Amino acid sequence: MTLSLNEIDAQAKRAARGAGYSWGMAEEAGKAARWLCAQGLDGVSVLAQALTRDGTALTRGVAMADRAVRLHDEPATLMDVPCPALVLPFAAMAARQLRAGVSVDLDSALAVTDGDRLQLSGPLPDHAACVRVTLGGALSTPVPRLGRASPTPEAWATLTRLAALTYAPATDESRLRGAGAGLSDND
Amino acid sequence: MAERRPPDQVMRLSRLGALHQCRLSFMRQLTRRMATEGWTFHRQAFDVDANGVGHAVYCATGPERSYSLVAFAHDLPPEKRSDRVIADAWDATFALFDGVPTQEDLDRLARNVPLQEAGRISDRELSLSRANRSVRLWAHVVDRLAAGQQPDAAEIDAVGYLMRTTAVYGSGKFGAADREQIADRPEMQAPFQAEMLSVYLTRWFVRDLVNHMARQQGVGRAATLAPDLARKLGIGNSTGLGMAPFLINHPVLFNNWILTREEALARVRALPRASVQERDVFRTIYARATGLVARWRSDHPIQQRKLAALRTDLRALDTRLAADDLSGPTPWDALIRWSETALSEEGQELLVSLVLEPYPDLVDGLGCCMADSAPEAFQIDGSMTVGTVQDLLRDSFGWALELDWSRRQANARAWYVSAEKQEPRLGERYEEPISAYEQPLAPARDAAACFATLDGLAPDTPIADVLSAHPQHRHTIRRAQISARAPYGEIRDNTIGADVLPIDMLRAKLSFFGATHFDPRSDRWVRISMYGNAPYPDELTPANADLWVYPEAAP
Repeated sequence: MTLSLNEIDAQAKRAARGAGYSWGMAEEAGKAARWLCAQGLDGVSVLAQALTRDGTALTRGVAMADRAVRLHDEPATLMDVPCPALVLPFAAMAARQLRAGVSVDLDSALAVTDGDRLQLSGPLPDHAACVRVTLGGALSTPVPRLGRASPTPEAWATLTRLAALTYAPATDESRLRGAGAGLSDND
Repeated sequence: MAERRPPDQVMRLSRLGALHQCRLSFMRQLTRRMATEGWTFHRQAFDVDANGVGHAVYCATGPERSYSLVAFAHDLPPEKRSDRVIADAWDATFALFDGVPTQEDLDRLARNVPLQEAGRISDRELSLSRANRSVRLWAHVVDRLAAGQQPDAAEIDAVGYLMRTTAVYGSGKFGAADREQIADRPEMQAPFQAEMLSVYLTRWFVRDLVNHMARQQGVGRAATLAPDLARKLGIGNSTGLGMAPFLINHPVLFNNWILTREEALARVRALPRASVQERDVFRTIYARATGLVARWRSDHPIQQRKLAALRTDLRALDTRLAADDLSGPTPWDALIRWSETALSEEGQELLVSLVLEPYPDLVDGLGCCMADSAPEAFQIDGSMTVGTVQDLLRDSFGWALELDWSRRQANARAWYVSAEKQEPRLGERYEEPISAYEQPLAPARDAAACFATLDGLAPDTPIADVLSAHPQHRHTIRRAQISARAPYGEIRDNTIGADVLPIDMLRAKLSFFGATHFDPRSDRWVRISMYGNAPYPDELTPANADLWVYPEAAP
């Protein structure tokens, strides 16, 4: 069974909110997981790890993309980053904003993105001592883009559990009033 | 040269709650395209037993591709019939298949589609939906046909449909194909074309099913539903709160719908003269539209008041049009200006839709601008200054900055998602334990809070600094930046006030689908009719593909 990228985005957003992020950050988490899955990477596992262990890759990735124009002057360097793959979607955002290639050095792996596509050499680490985001880089053999995602059951369950924290427990009152009972719906 | 109407005028909830279908509506875009391109239709399967249980497949084929409605008919115990999203069984369930399904596809869909949200569909499916019978009209039509008679036209007019859909899911929901998978196809480029096609084919299936059930009941003597009566029947739809957040969560898309209609109106208002033929078209459509209003009924006091006002508006319009033959300069602009002081918002917005009718060449080409093709709008530009963000917030929400948001009246409601069925609901903030679960569906309140934070900062501060220190304002700053390119993207009213009417948001969305006969059943769900009076697929021609929404005057 595969999931649509829309499902990934929506569940990732809810999960990030459930994990305590602001709505605006949760939106970023949704788009980030979606982008990773579209590149064939396991964006759901990456986000699940970040949300349950250490989410600095999310906040620092977002902050780097927010300051993308600074890449014109100097690379962005993030030290000691767990789940560093989560920086990649934000490097892609920077690339789109600057309309230029962006390279990301994550210790064992080198990634280049033009915003839409990703080229990757070397295995993505679980933890990077140093992530360096540099303006420049061209893609010769980008990874194939996917239109569907196949997350691991464990990681998906983690997002589902976190997402559930955003749902209000049902009460009789909400069932009746909240959804707007009114005139008969069986006539 | 007439300008577009300003967002401050257009984006108020009361006006959005008075919108009507028009040439740009998604149903009309679809039927025009299918007729122009000569789409063909065939029923590939109809395997339904005497109890009304089975399946059917209806195929629609355009220049490049086919789409198939796969329908499952069920024998639903009456006590299980509910339009609410918490229902778990329906009279009929559907999927729109991308292509023509194989037996293997049908087997897979038979295991999943009847379960709706509890099942899974795949990227071969473009939509998932279900429908319930109108108990009263269904029984009447089957009984009459089974007895060899035709149903009563007045009964058909009173209800308007034999079945009503209670949800039509698309865009990747429950495993369906993402919008991106089909957005490049010309026939799917405009919004909601897959969903509109699904409903169009559903109406065909329902006609076949009612004839089938009548034949089962009146073996050997049953009549077939007469074409003129069948035409009157649309597909009903019950829509609840799920649609209201959609408009807030898709500001670029919503902007494109409103902007397109406003641009069409501005083009027509700018015309220096109207030809005799254009004036004739307008008068003919106007007369037919009054017939549509005459058949519009609602039991809800809110809509009854609006309908009474609309009928008064039509009398005022009659008088005006008797005195003004529209041969003067800028006739449409003059008429619209007059309406702004003479008519209720229902009447004003009906008139806006009607003045577009004589001008397909000016209007219809705008239909392709209604999709959201700007995913990059999501991305925040952190180099924008605090001062610029404040200007943007003031543009959309200047009115909200003055409001005392600590007053209970101003924030009496909260939007939340229920654990039970993960559906959006609207609750009473001070009476229910829901605040902790509030969804970000109060852009005006959030804009006021963000503005206050920014007020203390130097105007040339990059907004990136604020985003790091105040992540709670991130979604608001994103919306502010989106509003720079999407001026009609924000509702300029309080969406959590004590007096908010969610049905206004539902109506705005449904009017762009092309729905008619808005009939609120409470302040938060509404019934409508889709495709009422439309030609069936086997009747569709370029001559009848567009104006079907307006009933022909009775002979």
